[in-house]
Amino acid sequence: MDRFKQGFLEEARELLSELESSLLELDQQPDDPETVGRAFRALHTIKGSGAMFGFEDIAAFAHDLEAVFDRLRKGQLAASADLINLALAAGDQIKTMLDAAAGEGTADPQRGTRILSEIRELAGTPESHQETPAAPPDSPASAPAGTPVEWSIHFRPGPNTILNGTNPLLLLRELRELGSLRIQPDVSAIPRLAEIDPESCYSAWDLLLTTAAGRDAIRDVFIFVEDDCELRIEAAAPETGASAAPAGTAKREAPASAAQGSGGASSIRVAAERLDQLVNLVGELVTVQARLSEISARRDDPDIRAVSEEIDRLTAELRENSMSIRMLPLRNTFERFRRLVHDLGIELHKQVDLVTEGAETELDKTVIDQLNDPLVHLIRNSMDHGIETPEARRAAGKPPAGKIRLRAMHSGAQVLIQVSDDGRGLDAQAVRARAIEQGMIDASAQLSESELFSLILAPGFSTAREVTDVSGRGVGMDVVRRSVETLRGSLEIASQPGQGLTVTLRLPLTLAIIDGLLVRVEDAYFILPLATSLECVELTRQDIQNAHGNHLADVRGETIPYIRLREFFAMETALPEREQMMVVDTEEGHCGLVVDEVLGNHQTVIKNLGRFYRDVQMVSGATILGNGTVALILDPHRLVQHAVHATLQRRPDSRQTRRPPGSLSRPSPQKRI
Amino acid sequence: MAKVILTVDDSASIRQMVKFTLSEAGYSVIEAVDGQDALSKLASVNLVITDLNMPNLDGIGLIKQVRANPECKGLPIIMLTTESQESRKQEGKAAGATGWIVKPFSKQQMLAVVKRVIG
Repeated sequence: MDRFKQGFLEEARELLSELESSLLELDQQPDDPETVGRAFRALHTIKGSGAMFGFEDIAAFAHDLEAVFDRLRKGQLAASADLINLALAAGDQIKTMLDAAAGEGTADPQRGTRILSEIRELAGTPESHQETPAAPPDSPASAPAGTPVEWSIHFRPGPNTILNGTNPLLLLRELRELGSLRIQPDVSAIPRLAEIDPESCYSAWDLLLTTAAGRDAIRDVFIFVEDDCELRIEAAAPETGASAAPAGTAKREAPASAAQGSGGASSIRVAAERLDQLVNLVGELVTVQARLSEISARRDDPDIRAVSEEIDRLTAELRENSMSIRMLPLRNTFERFRRLVHDLGIELHKQVDLVTEGAETELDKTVIDQLNDPLVHLIRNSMDHGIETPEARRAAGKPPAGKIRLRAMHSGAQVLIQVSDDGRGLDAQAVRARAIEQGMIDASAQLSESELFSLILAPGFSTAREVTDVSGRGVGMDVVRRSVETLRGSLEIASQPGQGLTVTLRLPLTLAIIDGLLVRVEDAYFILPLATSLECVELTRQDIQNAHGNHLADVRGETIPYIRLREFFAMETALPEREQMMVVDTEEGHCGLVVDEVLGNHQTVIKNLGRFYRDVQMVSGATILGNGTVALILDPHRLVQHAVHATLQRRPDSRQTRRPPGSLSRPSPQKRI
Repeated sequence: MAKVILTVDDSASIRQMVKFTLSEAGYSVIEAVDGQDALSKLASVNLVITDLNMPNLDGIGLIKQVRANPECKGLPIIMLTTESQESRKQEGKAAGATGWIVKPFSKQQMLAVVKRVIG
């Protein structure tokens, strides 16, 4: 397809989600003029660009919808819930039209006509008694009579404008006297402070002027500067206030509104596959670079070493750069859930507010793409089973409207995403009873609350035939867990009965390349993620003796439990004279991982282990070293959790309270790998 | 404080008219009879309205000198031209004039231009 058309389709989809989110906001605050304006502009641009790129049907449809929003904007119409729902449906219709234009599926024109006629009906009736006075109060009495028209003006003063005595702000002020003026400054041309010539003018302005004065009156304002500046005056939309604008005008405004929509953003669109390809290539490059530095270390040739170090540095930079290109804020994902919550709320007859926090948190696009389904599932669960009906909530002394909170935040090399609701929560004892009933745990088993909750993540826990309240909460939770684990993330549940439930997803920032620390045990190499590594200390024979057989080390006064990887992986060879310990930060607290030698930083291209090793928890992947050997990438968090678990299983009575991290004293050798 | 406007014209009647109109609108107006005279009166002036055809130093010359004077950077200068002087207008603009008023002009026209340039 034509490149421009493709661009329009993408832009229009973004505008639609903008429309959707503003509609949902309007639902909360029905008369916020800013939000109405956003919806209007989105439609306006869809219409304008649509016509320009030959999507007349979309343009016409958007035009009819825009007319309604224009009246909303002018306060001639109130944003009722019905209207918003219809407008949402209309947005969906535009989306199917876009899909049809892109060759995916077909749009049902009858549905479109139906929606439009319903909207017109809804919008048409209250027209007569909600009319506002025609002339805005600030328009000068001297303005020639006529229909107010919206003009889009782009004004960039020339470099000498100020030196020649013109104050551009006065021109803007003069324009304002002609009618109502919206000013959008464009400061993109302002250079760095050191390069600024204080006598030069770097700003430009995009103006939307609604005035009954004609083009000549506007030009007249700029008459002294028009030869030395960038000036475009274009008719935007006829301010007729009715939905029957002539089709010809709608088309002519296209260039103006397209310019408005692009807003001078200095970005380009690139197909996602190309980025993936770039990241893959960088991954290959990193691997090759590791080989080069291996060779240069062996050859001990200063010339080669210099080049190798240079390439090392460049590769690291290139890697960081290309990874950051793939990072996207979670905003769009979060915004999409607003619609889900809205629709589900209607379906389930529940009032639910969605609150989002940290939507600006960035994650690798590949992670975000796979995050949608699990989050939808969690929100659905919360809406379905967590949040009570308004009546039940009132009876429980809660506000009738439930609240779902979506939070995202950084935590080291990971991102935490929390979905919490203030619904009825989860009863640990009920979960326990159910698990015993299903034979998943022994009746005498001592489990902490979080361990009990994690039982609902097990497959089969809730797919039992009789659906209780508790099992209802777990529907498909194993699916959620699996998709989160595919992303090398983990999942935790916390809940207070009656108070709500919080599910925390812990996800890696990226799936491709990380900064790692290369360590060695015997002839095996491992990678520890640098983000969780705190420090490297020596573990001497003396330290070991001092601990009297406990796996505890004293690091500057802090007693730190450690896991000897040699034992953990059952490598039964003699201990070396000196060992080194990496102190890592995990949720269980600081913990040491004892290795023979810490070799240093390593740019780590993550390769998956393959299906066969899918259940291996402590290893998050593998990487290829410069000399061609494979190093396993350890997940310190899981590793420590596993060791804690193993320790506690041997001492079941120690579980009554949540144990301090220091209690991890005797990890048993594991042979899981 | 009222803004100070310097009207430069060799014709006293024009200066009168300018002074009257602008004073009425609340500006404070001082007069100069030609470019040379104007150069000595530039201190604390907010706007210069100058004729083009003048003895000693003409309008174009005045504009050039004002623009060359670092102390008068960005000082607005409006020139009074006639319609037959399109080329002079271009010359004035090239010299650094801020704007122009075409003779003959009405009070409103002049006030509008002054307002546009100095607010």
